Amino acid sequence: MAEGMRVEPDLNFIKFLKNAGGDTLKKCYQCATCSVVCPLSSDDNPFPRKEMISAQWGLKDKLIGDVNVMLCHQCGDCTAYCPRGAKPGDVLGAIRAYAYTHFGFPQGLAKLCSSGKNLPMLIGMPILLIGILFFLANGGMHLPDAESFKEVGFGHFFGHWDLHFLTKNVVFIDAIFLPAVAFALFATFRGVSNMWKEMEKSVNADTTFRPSALQFAKDFLWPSLVEIIQHKRFNECGENKNRVNGHLPLVLAFIGLFIVTNYAFVVKDIIGYFVEGLHGPIALANPIKILANVSAIAMIIGIAILWANRSNQEEKTGASGTFYDWFLIGEIMAVGVTGLGAELLRLAGLVTPAYLLYFMHLVSVFMLFLYMPYTKFAHMAYRTFAMAFEKYRESGFVKQ
Amino acid sequence: MTDERSAPGSGGVLVVGGGISGLTAALEAAEVGNDVFLIEKNPYLGGRVAQLNQYFPKLCPPSCGLEINYQRIKNNRKVRVYPMTEVKSVDGSAGNYQVTVETKPRGVNNNCTACNACVEVCPEERANAFNFNMDKTKAIYKPHDHAFPMKYAIDMSACSKCGKCKEACKYDAIDLEMEANTFTLDVKSIVWSTGWNPYDPAKMDNLNFASSDAIITNMMMERLAAPGGPTGGKILRPGDNKEPESFAFVQCAGSRDENHLEYCSYICCMATLKQITYIRAQYPEAKVTVFYIDLRTPGKYEKFREKLMSDPNVFFVKGKVADIIPSDDGGVTVIAENAVTGEKVQEKVDLAILATGMQPAANQGMGLTIDSNGFVVTDEDKAMIAAGCAKKAADVVTTTQNSTAAAMKAIQASRR
Repeated sequence: MAEGMRVEPDLNFIKFLKNAGGDTLKKCYQCATCSVVCPLSSDDNPFPRKEMISAQWGLKDKLIGDVNVMLCHQCGDCTAYCPRGAKPGDVLGAIRAYAYTHFGFPQGLAKLCSSGKNLPMLIGMPILLIGILFFLANGGMHLPDAESFKEVGFGHFFGHWDLHFLTKNVVFIDAIFLPAVAFALFATFRGVSNMWKEMEKSVNADTTFRPSALQFAKDFLWPSLVEIIQHKRFNECGENKNRVNGHLPLVLAFIGLFIVTNYAFVVKDIIGYFVEGLHGPIALANPIKILANVSAIAMIIGIAILWANRSNQEEKTGASGTFYDWFLIGEIMAVGVTGLGAELLRLAGLVTPAYLLYFMHLVSVFMLFLYMPYTKFAHMAYRTFAMAFEKYRESGFVKQ
Repeated sequence: MTDERSAPGSGGVLVVGGGISGLTAALEAAEVGNDVFLIEKNPYLGGRVAQLNQYFPKLCPPSCGLEINYQRIKNNRKVRVYPMTEVKSVDGSAGNYQVTVETKPRGVNNNCTACNACVEVCPEERANAFNFNMDKTKAIYKPHDHAFPMKYAIDMSACSKCGKCKEACKYDAIDLEMEANTFTLDVKSIVWSTGWNPYDPAKMDNLNFASSDAIITNMMMERLAAPGGPTGGKILRPGDNKEPESFAFVQCAGSRDENHLEYCSYICCMATLKQITYIRAQYPEAKVTVFYIDLRTPGKYEKFREKLMSDPNVFFVKGKVADIIPSDDGGVTVIAENAVTGEKVQEKVDLAILATGMQPAANQGMGLTIDSNGFVVTDEDKAMIAAGCAKKAADVVTTTQNSTAAAMKAIQASRR
C-alpha cells in the first residue's frame, strides 16, 4: 500500500449494508479492539477491523472474496467491546447478506429474496403454485371423509389414481419439490464456486496444483463438517454462547429430517412403485417415524431458542431486526409448526384444518428449499466451504 | 461601575477543591480583594498535581509550581483554607448561598512540627492512598513530603486510639478525641474545582488489571517515578521489585469508549510520552512499546513526540490493546492488532502501564448542572462556576487558564 491506492467506493454496496443491519458501520474508528476480542480471529488473519474499513470504503470486491466474512459466527463479542458502538458483528452479517445476493443465481430471484418488501411475493408465489396444482389435480376442493383420512392421511392431497402403485400424490409432490431442490442445489453450487474463485483471487493462490475431489473432501471439507457438527467455533464465543443451545438441536433436527425425507423418498417414491401398501402414514412406533417426530420437536425447540436469543440480543444492543435474520427464523418456525401441527390434526381426525395446515407446510418447505441459496439459510453452504477454504489456504496448495 | 449593595471586594467566594485549579481560582479572586473560602477533601492541598513526578509544560516537579501558590496563600489573609473538608449541602441562591460544610477530625492540631515522633510509636497501619495503595503508612501519617499545610493527620478508621502518639508528642499536637466540625459559610458564588479521579481500571474486564502486579496505571507510574513514592523514585515492578526491561503503554484504557469514558481524556498521550522520559532516565536500554489508536500531541508538543519517536528502542503500534494475559515469570503479554500491518501483536513485557483517563469526581446534587459525561457545566445565573478538570478533561496549563477565568466569573456573579 506504500505507493498508495485508489479507493473507488461502491455506494450501493454501502447503502445495502446500512439497510441490512450495518447502519452503525461508519462509527468505526479503527482501534482494532474487535480483532483482539474476537475468539475466532487468528493471529495471521485477524478480523473484523480490516473488514470494517473495507466496508466503510465500499470495497465490495475485496469483501465478497474475504473468507473472514464467512468465518464470522456473529458471537457479538466484538460488538460488546466496541468502544464506538459500531457493531462489527452486525456489519459482517450484513456483508454476508450482500454476498448471498451477489453470488445468487438467477440474480432476479436472489434480489427478490434480499428485501422484506418482497415478502408478499415470496410467500404468494408458492401459495399460488401449490394452490393451483392442488385445484387442478384435485378437481376443486375435494376433502376426504374422516374414515379414509384416517387410513390414507394426506396421501390423497393431490387426488388419487391407480398408476401401478405410484400414487398421484407422490407424482405431484415430486413434480413440485424435486425441481425446486435441484434448482436450489445448482444455484448453491454456482454461488459457492464463484465465492471460492473470489477467495482464491484474494489470497493470490497459484492454481496450478489443485486438490483432487477426494483430497478436497478428505482434507478440507470433512474436517469442516466435523467442526460444524461439534459446534466448535460457536463454543468459543463469549458473549452469545447460548446460541449453541438452539443451533445444535436445530442442526441435528435437520440431519434427522434429511434422513427421514430420503427414507420416504426411496421407500414411497421408488420402491413404492413396485410394492403395494407403502403409501399410508407410517405407524407412530416405527423407528423412522420416531426419528421424524423427535426431529420435528427438536426443530421447534431449537428455533424457538434462537428466536428468543435474537429478540433478547436486539433488545440488549438496541439493534433493529433485519429481514435477513428474521426471514430464516420465521421460515423454519413455520416449517416446524405446520408440519407437527398437520400431523397432530391428522391424528385428531380434523380433516379441514389438517388439510389447511398441510398445505401451509408444503408452502413453507418449498420456500425453505427454493430460497435457500439467497437467504441466511445459505450460510449452511457458504460458511462450510469458507471453513474448508480456510484449511485450504493454510495447506501446501496455497502456502509455499 | 459601582455597586451600592456591597463594598468592592467583600463578595465571598467559595472554592470547592484545592488542587491546582482551586488554588488558582482562590488566589486570583483573593488577590483582587475578595474573601475566599477554599475547602479541600484531603489533608493537603495540591490535588492530583501533587501526586505527579513531573508535569507539563516544563517537566518540573510539582513542588515547583505548587509552592509558589502556597506562598501566595500564606501571604494572603483573604483566603481561608479548610483541609479535610467537604460540602454537605448548598442552600440559597446566587449572591446568597449558605453552604454547609463538614471538616473531618484530623486528630492533629496546629502545634504539629512534623517531627515524626508519633509515627515511630504508632502500632497501626493503613494503605497509602496517596501512593495508590502501593505502600503503607502508620495510622498517623505525614500526607506526603511536600504537604501543605505541613501537618500530620490521623486516619481515624485505622486508629485504635491507643494513645502512644499522644505520649510521644512533645508539642501537645495530638487530639484523639477531635470531632467532626460542621459549619455554614455565607458566600455569593461557588467555584467547583473538584477535579478528577483516575478511571477505575478494573472496569475494563478484558485488561485484567487485578490479575497481575505487572499491570499498573499511569498515575501509579507517576508515584513509582516520584522521589516521594513507594520505591523512592526507582521504577520497579510492584510485588517483586524487579527492574523492568520492557514496558508497554496501553493508551485509551477506558477513554474514547462509550462503554467507559465516552470522551478523550486529553492528557494520556502526553503523560505516556512524559513517562517514557522517566523510563529512559533510569533504563537507557529498556524497550518501550506504545499501543495507541491516535496519538494526540497538541500544539508545540509535536516536537516532544518527534524526539521520543526517534528513540530506537521506543516502538509505536497503531492498535488498541484489548487483552492482557499474565505470564508465569511475573510479566504480562499484551495483545493488539497492528492496524498498519494487519497482524496480531503479542508483546511480552515486564510492566504494562494502562493510560487510564480522567473521570470527573462526583458532583451530583448541590444544584449543579452536570453534563452527560459527569462534568460540571458553568451556570453564571446561579453563580455556580466550573473550573479545571471538573469542567473538562485538560492539562495543567489549560486548567490554570480556565480557573483564572472561573475566578473572574465568580467575582462578576458575586457582584451582580
